[in-house]
Amino acid sequence: MESISEIHIKKSKFQILLILALSLVTLILAITSMGVGSSENLGFFSTFKIVLGIDQSNDIQSSIIWRIRLPRVIIAIVGGAALATAGALMQGSLGNPLVSPLTLGVASGAALGAALGIIIGFSISEPIGIIIDFLWNLILNIIIYPVNMISMAIFSVALDIPPIPFTGAETVIITNAFIFSLFVVFLIIKLGNYRSVSAESYILVGIAITFICGAIVSTMTYFASDSQLSQLTHWSFGSLARTSLIQSISISIIIILLMPNAMKWAWDLNSLSLGGDDFAISTGVDPIVTRKKILILSAFMTSIIISFTGLIGFLGLAAPHMSRLIVGNDYRKLIPCSAVFGSLLMLFADTLGRTLFAPIVIPVGIMLSIIGGPFFMYLLLQKRRKY
Amino acid sequence: MNNYKNYAQNYSIIDNDELLSVENLHFSWGENKVLNGINFTIPKNELVAVLGINGAGKSTMLKCVNRILKPEKGFIKLLNKDINDLNLVELAKNISYVPQSVLTQFSMDVFDVVLLGRRPHINWRVSENDREIVSNTLKFLKLEDFAFRSFNKLSGGERQRVIIAKAVAQDSKLLLMDEPTSDLDLKNQIVVMKNIKKLIREGKDKSAIIAIHDINIAARFADRILLLHQNELIGEGTPEEVLNEENIATVYGVSCVVEKRTEYESMRIIIKDEIKQKNKRKEEEE
Ligand SMILES: Nc1ncnc2c1ncn2[C@@H]1O[C@H](COP(=O)(O)OP(=O)(O)O)[C@@H](O)[C@H]1O
Ligand SMILES: [Mg+2]
Repeated sequence: MESISEIHIKKSKFQILLILALSLVTLILAITSMGVGSSENLGFFSTFKIVLGIDQSNDIQSSIIWRIRLPRVIIAIVGGAALATAGALMQGSLGNPLVSPLTLGVASGAALGAALGIIIGFSISEPIGIIIDFLWNLILNIIIYPVNMISMAIFSVALDIPPIPFTGAETVIITNAFIFSLFVVFLIIKLGNYRSVSAESYILVGIAITFICGAIVSTMTYFASDSQLSQLTHWSFGSLARTSLIQSISISIIIILLMPNAMKWAWDLNSLSLGGDDFAISTGVDPIVTRKKILILSAFMTSIIISFTGLIGFLGLAAPHMSRLIVGNDYRKLIPCSAVFGSLLMLFADTLGRTLFAPIVIPVGIMLSIIGGPFFMYLLLQKRRKY
Repeated sequence: MNNYKNYAQNYSIIDNDELLSVENLHFSWGENKVLNGINFTIPKNELVAVLGINGAGKSTMLKCVNRILKPEKGFIKLLNKDINDLNLVELAKNISYVPQSVLTQFSMDVFDVVLLGRRPHINWRVSENDREIVSNTLKFLKLEDFAFRSFNKLSGGERQRVIIAKAVAQDSKLLLMDEPTSDLDLKNQIVVMKNIKKLIREGKDKSAIIAIHDINIAARFADRILLLHQNELIGEGTPEEVLNEENIATVYGVSCVVEKRTEYESMRIIIKDEIKQKNKRKEEEE
């Protein structure tokens, strides 16, 4: 007979295998997704011939591949992973399965920033625009250089990536959204400094922030023109079309750097989410400090993604729960599984949204809710019935 | 051996025998004074029972010792070191705690719950040794069959035993248990207490403080009893010394008969009835 330890190892290995399988599916979907789209100039196979350097591309084709599809696939993968991870971290540290990355009010801060940019034309980055521009171009060059080196080495073509001024009209909204959501993150840090702050207080303050920002945005929409309203509505749908290649690569680098940080909390999250504060202390985890740090990390991840994509809420709630059904609640597996599953879900929803009614593109936020919602309900009910 | 211990305690020549000392412990929940100057020491290799009515402050006292609650006043020293000078991981290596109940939104396999007891000892990776300790603990507490069942789908008593297993796997010097037998059936109450006793006997310098309601279980298994009454410790000593008719009447307000320990059986307390006198006097006052 197998010993208990052996069974445990076996179970663990099986779960890791499941995560690897999910990653493989995600990878395949990502490659497929590169090949499909609404353009008549670019078929499924010609895309790969161009990417692999077999065929020469014309300008339109290369522009579609590098400027439109690649950034979209990257932001789908990275954004999905980040939002799902943030959701899992927040649920665990607050001990509440109803929590999503939007709960703390980070997204409503972003929405407020976007609305200010769209309706009033207020740009928070303008006063400090020169500095941001300078820093951005610096980062840009640091990133472009190695990317181009690699691209030269492998495909013997340099990527045609024009530097984008960060304070351009398009990016006002993004910067606004980002800085206002950072302001909410800052509020969370301040809140966390009170020793007595409990998990419930975080949630309640988050809800209060959401209401306050919502009220301000509503007041502004009252005075907005039709075109501004439509722009704001589009922003809040959640879409992956707005990010450029450079932006999506920069976001990826930040998220990749933050991910190991999330994994570092796995044990503490296990203890905290299983038994609450007292139990956590008895296993050597300080619940107050841990919760604060985890919430800051996840709020920051959310804020980065949401500023570029707009409001994508459902993914951060559903992907962690679906992952819980796959690997259980052990965060050592739940974090990577959520990340992969989030990517998969986002890619799937976006690819479907691009192709289903092509050339009409349905924003990914809407797709996620429409397909994800019923699927999520089905899974949860299915689980109920089994036991 | 016992004589020597008493000698050492009385003349406090040898401090080495002391695992925990609590001096002048005060704690209030707002206006509600719960602990008012508690003093006691826990020697190594002893099973100590804390008795008192609901709300006497047993849980509060245990939580202060584990630094879950911060006392208003007083010192708590573990192996002669103030517990506030230890970080939480060091503290968890030395003290493990079994809360009154654990119910969770996010369940895990029983094995993984018990593995959390190893959390203070590991960096991130689980070693072969940790797995061995967990599976031995599960065997020790007869929980092998539950190893891969979900914690939340166990009965209250089974969950309680799993949390005890977690504390045992933590391999700490001092075990704090808050009513660990409250949800257990008759047989399991005895089995669990026997196991804890065995752990204290065979472990190296381990002790346990157990808050408990069943005075007969306490009388049978405890080496020493702490009796909490009206915010203070009114009795400290062996079960024979503390559990007399007078003390039980004062604390619990019941009359009883105490049967002395014999060669074959531990002492036994037979509860008769509540004492009505007090109530009558109160009514007269009002
Ligand atoms: N979280 C709390 N907030 C306020 N008062 C509390 C809290 N927990 C316990 N108390 C009060 O402290 C006293 C002691 O409680 P406790 O230590 O749980 O007693 P015991 O464990 O002996 O039954 C009780 O009067 C109780 O009402
Ligand atoms: Mg209690």
